[in-house]
Amino acid sequence: MMTTKSISRDGLASLVADLVGGGTEVIAPSRAPDGEVEYRRVLRFDEIVWSDEMPRSSLKEFFLPPSEPLFSWRQTRSDVTIEPVPTRFGPRVVLGARPCDVAGVAAVDAVMGWDYRDELWFGRREATTLVSSACGGVDGSCFCRMVGLSPESEKGADLVLFPGDGGHLAKAVTEKGESFLSAHAARFGETTDEAKPVADANAGLGGGVAPADPAAIRAWLSEHFEDPMWESIALRCHGCGACAAVCPSCHCFDIVDEPEGLLEGTRRRNWDTCQTARFTVHASGHNPRADQSARFRQRVMHKFSIYPAKFGEVLCTGCGRCARACPAGMDLPEIVSKIAALAAEAVR
Amino acid sequence: MNLYQPHLVRIEAITDETADTRTLKLGFLDPDVASTFDFRAGQFGEYSVFGAGECTFCIASSPTRKGSIECTFKSVGKATNAMRGLNEGDTMGFRGPYGNHFPLDRMEDSDVVFIAGGIGLAPVRCVIWNTLDLRDRFRDVTIIYGARSVSDLVYARELEEWGARPDVRLWRTVDPGGESADWKHEIGFVPAIVEKAAPKADRAYAVVCGPPIMIKYTLPVLERLGFPPERIFTTLENRMKCGCGKCGRCNIGPVYVCKDGPVFTAAELAGLPGEY
Repeated sequence: MMTTKSISRDGLASLVADLVGGGTEVIAPSRAPDGEVEYRRVLRFDEIVWSDEMPRSSLKEFFLPPSEPLFSWRQTRSDVTIEPVPTRFGPRVVLGARPCDVAGVAAVDAVMGWDYRDELWFGRREATTLVSSACGGVDGSCFCRMVGLSPESEKGADLVLFPGDGGHLAKAVTEKGESFLSAHAARFGETTDEAKPVADANAGLGGGVAPADPAAIRAWLSEHFEDPMWESIALRCHGCGACAAVCPSCHCFDIVDEPEGLLEGTRRRNWDTCQTARFTVHASGHNPRADQSARFRQRVMHKFSIYPAKFGEVLCTGCGRCARACPAGMDLPEIVSKIAALAAEAVR
Repeated sequence: MNLYQPHLVRIEAITDETADTRTLKLGFLDPDVASTFDFRAGQFGEYSVFGAGECTFCIASSPTRKGSIECTFKSVGKATNAMRGLNEGDTMGFRGPYGNHFPLDRMEDSDVVFIAGGIGLAPVRCVIWNTLDLRDRFRDVTIIYGARSVSDLVYARELEEWGARPDVRLWRTVDPGGESADWKHEIGFVPAIVEKAAPKADRAYAVVCGPPIMIKYTLPVLERLGFPPERIFTTLENRMKCGCGKCGRCNIGPVYVCKDGPVFTAAELAGLPGEY
């Protein structure tokens, strides 16, 4: 049985001061210099934005940075020496994250851990405690319910904050969440309160977003790799990859060498996306995904068919950022609900 | 050391196969890696030149021959051109082995038919030597190899060696017009030579690697000869970066070529979308 405690606003402020003072990095929704809310490193409680504004990018960059060194090399005549990068990281707490964003981190865990363990990803994961905050939803692009989550879902979180009497209830979800409660026991109080339900914004904003049947969608997709729908959907797509950049669960990357002068340099991995034309080009020039409809289909297939076939869940947390970021108005919530309807029809 | 940090390897020997195709023999610098490194026929690795980046090929030598590995590559891009610029004694990077392998255990006590075109002989060469080094475990061994022209045939010395062996049936061919004045072997496309060689399908496995067009026209010939698609193996070569199921680049439908492949049966290929 996991513990639930309470914490007041003042308690949260002291908690942030304790963490920062103790050398823990605190990441929370905060205002960037341009006024937009994003997940940022904060030093004080009053930098944290506790509004319904959706941070513009997901938590992904704190575990899989947009560009990160894998190692450095130095060459002397015929010999090469390699300087490894650390795979252990300092303690970090993410505070007040969206449930869809912590769920995204958990979804990528599966990919980073099957057979081969990505030490850079898990080094950061192990050093980080994820404290999410039940969400009021944001706008009509939110569709977490459609993909089986909710504004109160606990997937991926170590500790979840719910609105409660005089502050928040803090519910531990993992052992790490329990340890966090004990380590900072002075800031938490006992409670017998029930968590108050957050406003179910998804239902209203999303035009009555209903959970879709992931198995039916997967079955439909496996039968409709070839379908005229893909071409008509992708007509609008520029292939810019903005959707993948803001996505909490898209994790594709490139590995490139960046020489610094002739004799040394760094091999890095950089975010990449299946939406660009060169992503799959063979050395011969042959491109297995030669047009945008094949590339957009891959994005949908990976999220709702390929990943589910391997790991049982979908690779989408319904945050809706892809729809908000798309310069061409591509709308994944709409596309998924269309596929869900076709799938439901096929089942009937 | 993380997953993406390569082992350092030293170039021990360089063999030019054709004008643009070269084989490197690579020895691991770390004695622990050198003594423990092992792989199975068909597996691949990420080879790198520091400053130019990584490229993906099969290991072209046989796992029965320990101490070093070989790769055969054509200079086509940034990394392979940089690899071609290296000399004997130079250091490069290797990580692997990755992927599945040819099921040699299952192929024992059967005939094995190797069919390759052009540089497609590289992954097949690994299985050929693996088979020949354990020769008494297999029945008839047939090798059918073709290239566009005589100067495009790779592993020339080994072709002579295989051709001279009484326990190997070797068919060599070049495309019409690709023959030289002293060419004594077949002239014709690989599928036609497979038809002519007509290997028996009974208790036999086929391994087919080469350009997509060759594979496309060879598979129907094998099926006509009676090879069931479950006993025809090939390899896929989708673009990869990580090689180990993370970077999301090599998917074909539900399959990760880097983990579920690179070795597939013709039956498995028939069930996949054509994104390769």
